[in-house]
Amino acid sequence: MQVTLQTIIGGISLGAVYALVALGFSLVYRTMGLVNFAHGNVVTVGAYLASTFYLSTKLPFALAMIVAIAVTGVIGLVIERVLRPLENKDFDLMLIGTIGFGIVLDALIIMIWGATGRAVPSPVAGAPIELFGLRIRTYDLVVLAIAALATVLLVLFLSRTKRGAAMQAVAMDHEAATAVGINVGRSNAIAFMVGAGLAALAGGLVGPLLYVSPTLGGALGIKGFAAAILGGFGSIPGAVVGGLAIGVLDSFAAGHFQGYSELVTFLVFTAIIMIRPTGVFGERTVNRA
Amino acid sequence: MRIKIAVVAGLGVLAWLLPYTIDSYAIHVVNVIIIFALLAVGLGLAMGVAGQVNLAQVAFFGVGAYATAILTTRAGLGFWFAAVLAIVITVVIGLLVGTPALRVQSHYLGIVTLGLALAFTNWVTNAQIAGGAEGISAIPAPELPGVDLSSEYLFYYLELIVFALALAFGLFVVRTGLGRRMRAMRDDSLAAGALGAEVPLLRMTAFLLASVYGGVAGVLYAGLIRFVAPESFGIANMFLLLGMVIIGGRQSLIGCVTGAVALYLVRELLSDHPTYAQIGYGAVVVLVVVFAPTGLAGIPPRLRALRRSSGTAARLQPFQAYETDVSSDDATILAIDGISKHFRGLKALDDVSLSVATGEIRGIVGPNGSGKTTLFNVISGLYKPTAGRVEFGGRDMTNVTPYRLSRAGLSRTFQNLRLFGDLTVRENVLVALDRSRTLDSWQYVLAPWLVSARDRRLRAEAGAVLDRFGLVEFAGQAPKALPYGIQRRVEIARAVAARPGLLLLDEPAAGLNGEEVRQLGEMVRSIRDSGVTVVLIEHNMGLVMSLCEKVTVLAGGRIIAEGTPAHVAATPAVIEAYLGDVMEIPTEATR
Repeated sequence: MQVTLQTIIGGISLGAVYALVALGFSLVYRTMGLVNFAHGNVVTVGAYLASTFYLSTKLPFALAMIVAIAVTGVIGLVIERVLRPLENKDFDLMLIGTIGFGIVLDALIIMIWGATGRAVPSPVAGAPIELFGLRIRTYDLVVLAIAALATVLLVLFLSRTKRGAAMQAVAMDHEAATAVGINVGRSNAIAFMVGAGLAALAGGLVGPLLYVSPTLGGALGIKGFAAAILGGFGSIPGAVVGGLAIGVLDSFAAGHFQGYSELVTFLVFTAIIMIRPTGVFGERTVNRA
Repeated sequence: MRIKIAVVAGLGVLAWLLPYTIDSYAIHVVNVIIIFALLAVGLGLAMGVAGQVNLAQVAFFGVGAYATAILTTRAGLGFWFAAVLAIVITVVIGLLVGTPALRVQSHYLGIVTLGLALAFTNWVTNAQIAGGAEGISAIPAPELPGVDLSSEYLFYYLELIVFALALAFGLFVVRTGLGRRMRAMRDDSLAAGALGAEVPLLRMTAFLLASVYGGVAGVLYAGLIRFVAPESFGIANMFLLLGMVIIGGRQSLIGCVTGAVALYLVRELLSDHPTYAQIGYGAVVVLVVVFAPTGLAGIPPRLRALRRSSGTAARLQPFQAYETDVSSDDATILAIDGISKHFRGLKALDDVSLSVATGEIRGIVGPNGSGKTTLFNVISGLYKPTAGRVEFGGRDMTNVTPYRLSRAGLSRTFQNLRLFGDLTVRENVLVALDRSRTLDSWQYVLAPWLVSARDRRLRAEAGAVLDRFGLVEFAGQAPKALPYGIQRRVEIARAVAARPGLLLLDEPAAGLNGEEVRQLGEMVRSIRDSGVTVVLIEHNMGLVMSLCEKVTVLAGGRIIAEGTPAHVAATPAVIEAYLGDVMEIPTEATR
C-alpha cells in the first residue's frame, strides 16, 4: 500500500507536466483540427531556454521561465504563419509540415546546446516533506501548483475573454466564424502561440525533474499526446486527467518493467486508442471531415 | 512508349556499369542509397498511394534487419532461410502495426505508428537477444555459389536486381486495379467504399506492402553492413526517410526514389556538418508541403501543363442513349421497412417505409432537413439505422457495409460531389468498373498476366462508358479542374459504370443550368430504359414531375405523401410542408 501510494505520488508531478503538454496539443487541435508534431521539440527548446537563463545568466527561475515562454511563443507564431496556406485544406500535408519544423528545431537545439544533456538543480531548497510515512519533494508541489494555475488561467481565457470566445467559435465551425467577422488566422496563431508557451512551461518545469537533453521532448511529446487522447482529444479537463493518468501509468511501468516501461506505455496507449478513439471526455468523432 | 523503353534500358546499362567507375567508399554509399530507395518505395505505397500515415516504416526496416541478425547469429540459420523468415516476421509485425488503421486515420494513425516504432527501438535497446545498445555484429555474409557477396561490388548487383524487381512491382501495382483502388481510397474513402472498394482490406494491404518493402530492405541491410544497432532504426532516420518521400513526391514511386537518392547524396556531401544538413532538409520539407505538395515528381507535369495551356479546350459531347432493355419484371428491388435514424435527440428518420419496383424512376422530395440524404445514407450502408430493415434485391441488407452493397448492385452519387480528386476522369470510371476483389491480389505475385489482361479489358470498357457520356475529351484530366456541370456528369457516369441494379442519385440537378437539366432528364430516362432502377432526390420540381412515375414526400423525417407527381402536388400536407401553414408562422411575440 505504502509503495503503491509512493508510486502514485512519484507519477503525479510528471503527470502534471504531461498534462501541460497535452493542453498545448489539445488547444491547437480544438482550434484547427491539427496535431502539431513539432510540439515535443518545442518542449525541448523551452527546457533548454529556461535552464540556460536560470543557470548561465543567473535569472531567478520564474523569470527564466517567463523568458522561455515568450521565445517559444514566437516559434509557435512562426510555425503557424508558414503553414497557414494549408489550414483547413490538407491536414495530412500540414502534419508533415509540422514534422518538418520538428526536424529543423531538433537540429537547431543540437547546434546551439550540443548533443549532450545537462542536469538542472532544483530551484527550491528544502528537505522532502514527510506525510504519513510518504516522502513528497517540495519541488513536486511547486510543479503541481504552477500546472494547476496555468490550467485555470487557460480555462478563464477561453471562457471569459472575447478573444477566447472567438477561438471557441473557430473551433466549432471556422466557416461560420469567418462569416461573423472573426479573424480565423489570428485565432489559429494565438492557439499556436499559447500552445507553444504551454510547451515551454512544461519543458521548464520538467528540467529539474529529468535530465535535459535533445531527446527530452520526443518522449514528453508522445506521452503528452497519449495523455490528450486518453482524456479525449481537444478537451481541456480531458487533457488534465489524461496527463495525470499517463504519469501514474508511467510511474508504475517504470517500477515494474524497468527498461521496458516505454514499450509498455506505448502498447497500452495503442490499445486504448483502438478501443476508444475519442477518449474519456471526447465528444467529437475522430475525423472532422 | 519507345522512348520510355530506351530510357529504362539506358538507365539499366548505366546502373550495370556503375561499379566499374567508382571507388570502394562510393560503392558503399550507393549500396546504402539503394536500401533507402527500397524503403522509400514502401513508404510511398503506404502513404502516398494509399494515404495511410505510416511512421513505422523504419521500424519495419529494423524488424527485418534484426530478425535476420538474430536468426543467423543466435539460431545459426543460413542467411537465405533467415532472410525469408525475417520478411515473414516483418509482414506479421506490419499487419499488427496496421490494425489501428481500421479504427483511426490521419494524425491518430501517425502518432500510433510512431509510438509503436519507438516501442520497437525501446525493445531492441533493452532485450538481451537483440544485443542491447551494442547491437549484433558478425552477421554472416549471404552465400551464393560462385559469387562472393561479402564484396560490396558484387553485393551491389544483388541489390540492383532486387530493387529493379521491387520498383517494377510497385509501379505495376500503382498503375493497375489495386493501386487505383488504393488511390481512390486515399482521395475519398467514403466514395471508394460506396463504389465497392473494401476499405479495411485495402488499408491492411497498404501496410502489408510497406512491411514487405521494409523487410526486404532490412534483410539487404543486414547482409551488407553485417551489423545492426538500435540507432540505425530510430526516429531520426524515420524523419529522414519521410523527408525523402515528401521532397521526391509521395504520390509517385519514381519521385520517392529520386528523393531518396537526392537527399542521401546531399547528406553525404554535408557529412561533416550533419546538423546543417538536418536544418536544410527539414526546411525543404516545410517549403515543399507549402509550395509544391507533389514534390520533385510534380515538377515535370506542371511544366507540361504550362506549355499545353494554349491548346484547344476539350468539349463535352452529347450523351448517347442506351439500347432499351424491356425485360423488366414487376418485382420489388428495394423495400424499406420501419426505418428510424436518430442522432442523439434528433429523429432524422422516423419509421419510414417504402418500396421501389424494378424498373421504376422514383422521386424523393421534401424540404431541406427532412431526412432525404439520411435515407440514402441508410440505404447505401453509410449509416446504421436505429431501427428497421432494408431489403435490397430480395435480401436483408440492413447494416451491410457500403462495399458489399455496391457489389450486390447498389450505386449512388453524392449531394456535394465526391469524385476522386487526384485521379483522372478515366480512372474515376475505372475504379467503378473494376469489380474484382481485393482478396484476388495474390494474382499480382503469382499471375501478373491475368491482372494486366483484366486491366486492358477494363480500359476498353472505360473508353466505351466515357464515349457514351460524351466525356472522351476529358478522360485524362483531373475532375477538380472541370466545370461543375461536367463533374456532375462524371459522377453519374462513374455510378453507372459500376453496373448497378439500383441507382441512387442525390440532387443530380443541383447547380445545373436549364439545358444541362434537360440533358440530365434524358440521361436518367435512358439509364432506366437500359434496365436500371433509379431513385432520385431532387428539388427541381420540373424535373421530378417530368421524370418520375411515383414520388415520395418526406417532411421532418416522416413520409407525408406518396403517389403520382400530380397526385402528390395536390396533397394539402405537401403544400403545407413546403409553404408552411400561413396562419401559424411564429412571430417574436408567440415564441
